[in-house]
Amino acid sequence: MNRRTRWARLALAVWLPVVVLVVWWFASATSNSPYFPPLTDILDELVDEWVFGDAKWQLLPSLRNLAVGFVGGSLLGVLGGALLWRVPVLRRATNPIVYFLYVLPAPALLPAMIALFGLGEVRQMALIAFGATWPALLNTLDGMRGIDEVKFDTARAMGFGALRTLWQVVLPGASPQIAAGLRASLQVSIILMVVSEMVAAEEGIGYFILEAQTVFAITTMWTGILVLAVVGTALNYAFVGIERRALAWHYGSRRIGGGPA
Amino acid sequence: MTRTLGATAAGGSAAQEPPVLDVKSLRKVFNAGRPDERTAIDDVSFTIAKGEFVCVVGPSGAGKTTLLRCISGLAAPSSGTVRFEGRDLTAVPDEIGVVFQDYGRSLFPWFTNGRNIALPLRARKVARPERDKRVREVLEAVGLGHVEKQYPWQLSGGMQQRVAIARTLSYRPDLLLMDEPFASVDAQTRFDLEDLILRVRKDAGITVVLVTHDIDEAIYLADRIVVLTGSPSRVREILEVPLGPDRDQVTTRSSEEFLALRKHLLSLVMPQ
Amino acid sequence: MQAAIGFVRPVLVPCVTLLLVLAGWQAVTVSGLFRPDQFPTMTDTLTALGAALGTSELWTAVGATLQGWAIGLVIAAVLAVVVGCVLGANDVAFRSTASLIEVFKAIPAIAILPLVILVLGSTIGMKVFLIAFGAFWPLVIQVIYGVRAMDPTVSDTARALGVRGWRRFVTVTLPSASPYIATGLRIASASALILAVVAELVGGAEGIGRRILFARNAGVTAYPTMYAYILVAGCLGIVLTGAFFLLERKGMHWHESQRGVGTAGLEAR
Repeated sequence: MNRRTRWARLALAVWLPVVVLVVWWFASATSNSPYFPPLTDILDELVDEWVFGDAKWQLLPSLRNLAVGFVGGSLLGVLGGALLWRVPVLRRATNPIVYFLYVLPAPALLPAMIALFGLGEVRQMALIAFGATWPALLNTLDGMRGIDEVKFDTARAMGFGALRTLWQVVLPGASPQIAAGLRASLQVSIILMVVSEMVAAEEGIGYFILEAQTVFAITTMWTGILVLAVVGTALNYAFVGIERRALAWHYGSRRIGGGPA
Repeated sequence: MTRTLGATAAGGSAAQEPPVLDVKSLRKVFNAGRPDERTAIDDVSFTIAKGEFVCVVGPSGAGKTTLLRCISGLAAPSSGTVRFEGRDLTAVPDEIGVVFQDYGRSLFPWFTNGRNIALPLRARKVARPERDKRVREVLEAVGLGHVEKQYPWQLSGGMQQRVAIARTLSYRPDLLLMDEPFASVDAQTRFDLEDLILRVRKDAGITVVLVTHDIDEAIYLADRIVVLTGSPSRVREILEVPLGPDRDQVTTRSSEEFLALRKHLLSLVMPQ
Repeated sequence: MQAAIGFVRPVLVPCVTLLLVLAGWQAVTVSGLFRPDQFPTMTDTLTALGAALGTSELWTAVGATLQGWAIGLVIAAVLAVVVGCVLGANDVAFRSTASLIEVFKAIPAIAILPLVILVLGSTIGMKVFLIAFGAFWPLVIQVIYGVRAMDPTVSDTARALGVRGWRRFVTVTLPSASPYIATGLRIASASALILAVVAELVGGAEGIGRRILFARNAGVTAYPTMYAYILVAGCLGIVLTGAFFLLERKGMHWHESQRGVGTAGLEAR
């Protein structure tokens, strides 16, 4: 790609977001709506409260809960999915129950988690873990089932034991689908993290935003929204970035036109 | 030139050792006892001596792949015996190598070519320096010395199949089983690969059983050809192929003997 | 006889397991492992469920949730198809908007919930907006991807046959993109249900989520009802997902043979 097309592409990708930002800037500066304060004010307060101020510590408990819940739930999900793959009887037996729990909207369980675990952070981690488990489980199961039979024949023909087959055939073979499941788990986890902080909570980014809204500190609320938006986006991009690296072989083979592994 | 049904070991040099492969009355039935029961192989017997190159041909659907799976240890026969180097087969023995038709599905896309080839060596606990050496050796032997660090899907079809062959050769099996290995590549590449396998067999001295539907290929490659009937298959005939050890795509394929064999084989394989 | 057995066997094992799980639930709660203010017994919950099914409250709540879900989803779908087709067809438009859409897709919809509550109140409008906003971005990406992923052979054939304009859009572009759109809709329907419950829990809009919260706040005696409502929410999930599966089956029967490849491959990245 030559220089001119490079610049043209960059310009195309950038002009609209820039225009949107500019429009937001001016529209919010001139409007009287109490709900949409001037962007300048929001940015000022963002720097005051978040960069120099104490607001950023609100993020820590949120991220901690997210980390514990997401990692715990996904791990459980992957192990569970692998187990159900290995033991088909178990899969057939638990199929309806697993499916029920997968389509159950996880936020509906928040009040139950409060009843079970009280008002501390355990209920938040438990809820997030619950939500993260099922997409991971089902996608792990599907991914493992989708591995080509020929690969298993090849492994047997080469003298692979069970452990080696699991490690060098099953896991890599299922990893694209497991990654898709983990991505879904992450999205659910983020939603649950925020929801659990907006109902009967005392700290966290969700609490911060809702609290600001309750006391009508609109600009403060907006800073919280922006921070959450940035954090959520950053987490997603980080995930995709890691995925692209770890699954480089998969993306490479698809680009060249290979079929599913 | 030809022998009839039931012919067994050829080559007096193998008189003392047990034959590499001894198949007696092999029978394979799928879904036994259920309404969709299907007999893929009815009664197949043959023996293979050390160093031979045997091709198995038959009409489509004759159960050639099933046969290969049974004699490799990947599938258990419903009745009959398969003995490899004098032992009964229960699992895939270390000394057998299998090359599948669809290299795309058999090679692991998540490992580089070098790593793919090293896999059976790792499974056999071969030490690292020896492993690396063999990987390089075997890639050279198939003419692909430079692709070690690339991925299989970055190579063309013919090259991928070479990598698959290299992978099987890396642990120096006594018997190489190939299931229509050259069916998925274009004709030009096929000739190259056929010559490759002949060369490899000569250099390494291994026994080869190659399943194919291409009768020209069978005659070109084989010392003997096992001809199967349609499903449920039996051995129709076992042909000797006295074309000598040195074969060449151009001269061999246009020789009179080749053409005569071809005519005969065609009449055996074509539907009545 | 064979057919009857063939039907019973696959159903038997899951049913028995379900009974075992229910029995286990009862055992665990009755034994004192969990206090009644943590986890009600199975029998109490099922009784409460039976009672609730007879009340109008439950059905009003279900209706309210469904209403928000449906309207929000329809709005998002229509907008996504229209916008997505336009953007998918024009390369300049696509490149201009791609980064913006990706960014909005990555923002968790729940971040703007307090703002929406402020502006629209605890109404169904708030719920619909949240759902529509949350569902639109991933859906529009799927539509764009579907339109752009049209097989070049199909597109060449259409050109060679002289199929152009509106006719081409309806008979070639849309069907060709429909697997992606279908996958996107299925995923969107699940996230729409989640957002509906979130809007009810946090925003106080009428619906199942709100009822569940009420039951918890009403105290221990209402816990069985709370769990009953949670079960209802799960059933709602099953009904909605099931409906989409059936819809996909019927509308896309021609594509079934390719479905073996796995719809994971049809998801836009």
